[in-house]
Amino acid sequence: MNTPRVTLSLDAKAGPYQPGDVLRGQYEVGILHSAEVKAVELSVLWHTLGQGEEDLAVHFFERLAGEEGDVLDLRAPHAFEMMLPNSPLSYDGVIVKICWCVRLRVFLGRGKDVLTERPFQLGAVPAAQMLE
Amino acid sequence: MIHPIGHNPFATRSVRPGALDYIFPTDLRVEDVVERLRAHGWWGEIVGPHGSGKSTLLETLRPKLEAAGRHVVAMTLYQGQRRLPPQGRHQGEWPTPAQLVVDGYEQLAMPARWALQRRCRRARAGLLVSTHRPTGLPTLLHTAPDLDVLTAIVNQLTGGDFSVITPEDVARAYLVRGHDVRETLFDLYSLYERRRRHDR
Repeated sequence: MNTPRVTLSLDAKAGPYQPGDVLRGQYEVGILHSAEVKAVELSVLWHTLGQGEEDLAVHFFERLAGEEGDVLDLRAPHAFEMMLPNSPLSYDGVIVKICWCVRLRVFLGRGKDVLTERPFQLGAVPAAQMLE
Repeated sequence: MIHPIGHNPFATRSVRPGALDYIFPTDLRVEDVVERLRAHGWWGEIVGPHGSGKSTLLETLRPKLEAAGRHVVAMTLYQGQRRLPPQGRHQGEWPTPAQLVVDGYEQLAMPARWALQRRCRRARAGLLVSTHRPTGLPTLLHTAPDLDVLTAIVNQLTGGDFSVITPEDVARAYLVRGHDVRETLFDLYSLYERRRRHDR
């Protein structure tokens, strides 16, 4: 099965997003002849990254699925938008970091999927410094 | 351009068992280990010191066991955990054919090991364990830490970019950590953070 070409983009913005800002973007799935898209799931989420256990929470979720037996046609750009929450703000810590991203999962036939992520920054918390 | 939060190739999500594939010695493949386990009636143990790749190997074996028709019931035992978690005790809930996979088997008290073996025999289930010391099950593989393997792991994690963490850094941390691969990767995370912030 060919892998579809997935494009996920956020509207241009100068500087980081702030709480309450509206995040806008679009995605499209270029389908090659033998690839069938069963469903797509779009999430806006934050997750931690670092040395310990990881945490994750989904702020926005949208699923598009074809009717039973149908395939989705997503060749035209599909726009999305949502308001960003007050917290948690993006943080570049030493032991733990908080990362925001838009994640698009495209479900193909035979249990295969394609994952694409677009990171973004919420807030402007200064990065942590390490003491020498 | 909005820069995403700093990436660190040694973060938990990249180095946890399952995220990394076990790197086999040149004369051995994952299929060979599955075959050895099958030859012993699906019972066997992987023996090696702390941080030598036992958990990673179990995770690498898991999809191969599933592909061989075994239904994996996996559990991880932590320091001082002398009893099995519920999924290891509730034999009636095991799928058929079950393949019990116990990471950290040496933590179990002897009566708990015997009880588990009895349950596995009764249910005709397989039993695959990792342990620091041999426990009497058929030994499938001895894992041993190796600097070349560690360097290959770092190469895989960094995409071959040794500009922040050099091979000398890897060798030094490996020595300091007494050849414990897991702890070495932990230290490399901190070193990466220090260099990244210093260079900014």
